[in-house]
Amino acid sequence: MTLDLAQFHETFFAESFEALDSMEAALLKLSAGDADLELVNTIFRVAHSIKGGSATFGFSDVAAFTHTLETLLDQMRSGKRRVDSALVDTLLRSGDLMREMLAATQAKQPLDKGKVASLHAEIELIMATPGHSTMPAPSASSAATPAAPSAPAMLEPGEARSGWRIHFVPGPKLLRNGNDPLRLLRELATLAPCEIRVDAKWIPPLGELDPEECRLAWRIEVNGAVKESAIKSVFDWVDGECDLNLEPFGPAADATVMMPALKLPAGVEFEAPSPAPSPVAAPAAPPTAVTPVAPAMQAPSVEEPAAKPAASSASAAPAAASGDGGSIRVSIEKVDELLNSVGELVITQSVLSQLAAPLEGRDAEQLRNALVQLERHMRALQESVMRVRMLPINVVFNRFPRLVRDLGQKLGKKIELRLTGDTTELDKTVLEKIGDPLVHLVRNAIDHGIETPEVRLAAGKPAHGIIELNAYHKGGNVVVEVSDDGGGLRREKILAKARERGLVSGDEELSEERVFNLIFAPGFSTADVVSDVSGRGVGMDVVKRNINELGGHVQIHSTPGKGSMVRIRLPLTLAILDGQLARVGSEVYVVPIVSIVETIQVRQELVSSIAARAQVFRLRDDYLPIVRLYDLFGVEPQHTDLLDGLLMIVEADGTRVGLFVDELMSQQQVVIKSLETNFRPVVGLAGATMLGDGRVALILDIPGVIARYQSRREPVQVAA
Amino acid sequence: VKHVSSTTPASLPKQEVEEIAPEIVESMSSVPKPAVGRVVLPATCTIHEARALQAHLLEQLDKPGPCEIDGGAVQQVDTAGVQLVLAFALDCLERNLPYTWKSRSPVLEEAIRVLGVGALLEYPA
Repeated sequence: MTLDLAQFHETFFAESFEALDSMEAALLKLSAGDADLELVNTIFRVAHSIKGGSATFGFSDVAAFTHTLETLLDQMRSGKRRVDSALVDTLLRSGDLMREMLAATQAKQPLDKGKVASLHAEIELIMATPGHSTMPAPSASSAATPAAPSAPAMLEPGEARSGWRIHFVPGPKLLRNGNDPLRLLRELATLAPCEIRVDAKWIPPLGELDPEECRLAWRIEVNGAVKESAIKSVFDWVDGECDLNLEPFGPAADATVMMPALKLPAGVEFEAPSPAPSPVAAPAAPPTAVTPVAPAMQAPSVEEPAAKPAASSASAAPAAASGDGGSIRVSIEKVDELLNSVGELVITQSVLSQLAAPLEGRDAEQLRNALVQLERHMRALQESVMRVRMLPINVVFNRFPRLVRDLGQKLGKKIELRLTGDTTELDKTVLEKIGDPLVHLVRNAIDHGIETPEVRLAAGKPAHGIIELNAYHKGGNVVVEVSDDGGGLRREKILAKARERGLVSGDEELSEERVFNLIFAPGFSTADVVSDVSGRGVGMDVVKRNINELGGHVQIHSTPGKGSMVRIRLPLTLAILDGQLARVGSEVYVVPIVSIVETIQVRQELVSSIAARAQVFRLRDDYLPIVRLYDLFGVEPQHTDLLDGLLMIVEADGTRVGLFVDELMSQQQVVIKSLETNFRPVVGLAGATMLGDGRVALILDIPGVIARYQSRREPVQVAA
Repeated sequence: VKHVSSTTPASLPKQEVEEIAPEIVESMSSVPKPAVGRVVLPATCTIHEARALQAHLLEQLDKPGPCEIDGGAVQQVDTAGVQLVLAFALDCLERNLPYTWKSRSPVLEEAIRVLGVGALLEYPA
C-alpha cells in the first residue's frame, strides 16, 4: 500500500479557506499601533498552518509565499513592527492571494506567478525596512532562510540556561496523514538549539514494521527562552495526532506549570505492543540516542549513547480522548441522506397514525398512545438532524467588514459596520444562496445610501455613516435586515425613472411599497453615474429573484434623509415547509403558509367578470384576480361556483391573487421532495410531499402560480 | 641488498619481509572475507517508496555476512525512510550481521542528525 496524500487535499483546502476567513476577520480587527497579540497570533497560526500543509502536500509556491508572510507576521508578533493601515492592506491582499493560489491549486489551474512575485517582493521590501521599532528588522534575505532561528521567538538570549523539555510521541496515523516528524523537528530547531533524543524501543523487527506507521518517539530539550506559543505552533498541524508534553526548565520554569498534553484520537494507545528488540551484542548502543541539533548546523553530529533508557511508555500513555467537544467534518450529502431518511420516517409515522385512528378497543388506545410518543420522538429527531445543517449567519456576515472597509475607502466614505444577531442559525443551503444578495444590498447601501462625509455634515449628520446587518428568528423564519442611515430612497426620482422606462403608466398612482419595489425591476437604476460598484441596474433584480427562489420575501422601508432598510424574510430550511393543505377535487395541494394572507368566502356582489373568462373580486380597496387552481393544473374540481368554495389570498412579489379551492384541510409541516430531482421542474410547483394517507401532494410555488396564471391571460385590466 | 624470492617468503622472518615488501605481509595476515553485501538506498526514501525499500532491506537481511550501506544517492528522505533504515540496522545488530556505511548524502546526513538517530545507525566497533 502506498500513501496517497491527494485524499487529504480537499480537507486541507476546505480548512485553509475557513482559516483564511478567520485571518481576514482578525486583520480587520487590528487597529493601528502596537498589535493586539491575540489577533496577531490568530493570523500567524493561519499562515503557519497553511504553510505547513502546503509544504507537506508539495504545493511549494503556496508554502514559499506563506513562509515569507509568516516571517513578516513574526515581526509583528514580537513587537518589532507596528501595525498601520498600509501593512493591514498588504496583509489583506496577501490573504486574498493565498486564497487565489489555493483555489488555483485546487482547480489544478496555473498560478498567476507575476502577481505572486510582485506581492512577495512587496512583503520582502516591508521586512527590509525598519518597522518603527527599536529592534532592528531582519533583512529580506533572512526571511528566505527557514533554518535560521527565529529571533522573535526568543525572549532573552543572554538569560541563564532555560528552555523546554518536550516529549513528542507521534500517533500511529501521523505519517499516514502526511505529517512528518522530521519537518516538525527541523522547524523546532529554527527556534533555538535543540538536543534531540530518539526513543526507538518500540520499533519491531523490520519484517513486522508497518512502514507507514511511526514507531519512534522523541525527547527534546529546546535550549533557549522560547515562547510556549512558538513551540505549540510548530505542533499545530499534528494536534490530536500525537502525544505532546511541554515542560519548562530553568529560572523561569518555577512559576510555570506543565502544559496539558494534547489529546490523542480516541482509541489510540501508546503502550508498546511488543518489547523493543534488545541488542544481543554487548557493546551495542541501546535504541536511544541523543543528538544536539542547532539551527542550520552543518558540523558533524555529536552523538553519544543515552545515559539511561527513555521513560517507560506508561508516562507517555495518554488518557484516551473522549468527549472533548470536538467536531467532525461530514459531507453535506450524508447529512441530506439522513434528513431524507428521517423525512420518510415522518411520513411512515403519519401513515401509522392514520391507520390507527379508526381502531377501537383497549389495545387500540395503547397503540395510539405509543404512536403519539413516536411522533414526539420523530419530531425531536427531525429537528436534531435539521440542526446539523444549520450554520450561524456570521459565515456570511464575516465577509462584510472587508467589503465595507474597501468600498468605503474607494468611495471616500466613512462607514461603521454594525453586525448583530450573527449567531442566528439557518440552513446551509439558504446560507449559501443568501450571500450574494446580501453583498448586492450592502454595496448598494454604501454606494447609493451612505453620503460622503461633506454631505452628511452639511445635513447635520455625523461624518461616519452606519450600515447595520441584523439577523434574528421570527415565527419559524429568519429575518435579515440591511439598513443604513444614508439619504434614503427618493420616491419621486424612482417614479420618474419608472415612467421614463415605461414601467409605470403616466397617471398611475402607486403605494409607497410598490414604488420602492420598482428598484427590483430588471435594469432599473436611478444612479446618475454608473460606477464599477453599482448603478448599472444589474443586481437588485437578481437579489429579489434569489430570495424568492429560496421561498423568501423582501420588503423595503425608507425615510428620506434618514436612511433605508431592506428586510429579508427567509425560511429556516428548504427541507421542510409549513403548509396549508387545500383540496381541489381529488387532489390535495400544499400552500406555503408564508405566502397566505387570508382565506375568505366570496360573496357574489364582490366578483366582477372581465374578458376571456377572467374574474376579479374586490377585497376592501383592491381588486384581485381569481386563479382557479383546477383550471391552472387541469384537474376535475368538486366546485366550479365561487360561492361553494374558498378563496385563499396569497401574495408574491407584492402581487396578490385569490386561489380558488374546494376546501381547506389541516395545516402541517411537510417534507419537501424535489420535483426537479425526481421528475422535472414544473412552473407553479415547488415540489411534492407524501401525506399521511400515502397520497402525494403537490406543493405550490406561489410566484410560479401567479406567473403561470399571467402567462395564460392578457394582463388583467379591471373593469371601470 | 637482500634478494627475496617471491616463492619463499615464509622462509624469512616476518619482520624482515615486512621491511622489504609490506604488501606481502598484508596478504599473509589477512583472512579470507565473506562476500560483502551491498544495500544501495534509492534517491527517494520516503513513505511513498517505503514498502519497496522495506522489501529490499529484508532481502539483504536474509543474506549472510556483513554488508555495506550506500546512502550517497539519497536526495529525498523522510521519517518513514529513516525509520526503515533504523529498523534494518537494529535487526543487523540483533543478528550479529556487521554493516558499514559507504557514504551518506548531505540530505540523509541532515535527516539522521535532526531525528537524532545517528548513534543507533552505527554498528558498534
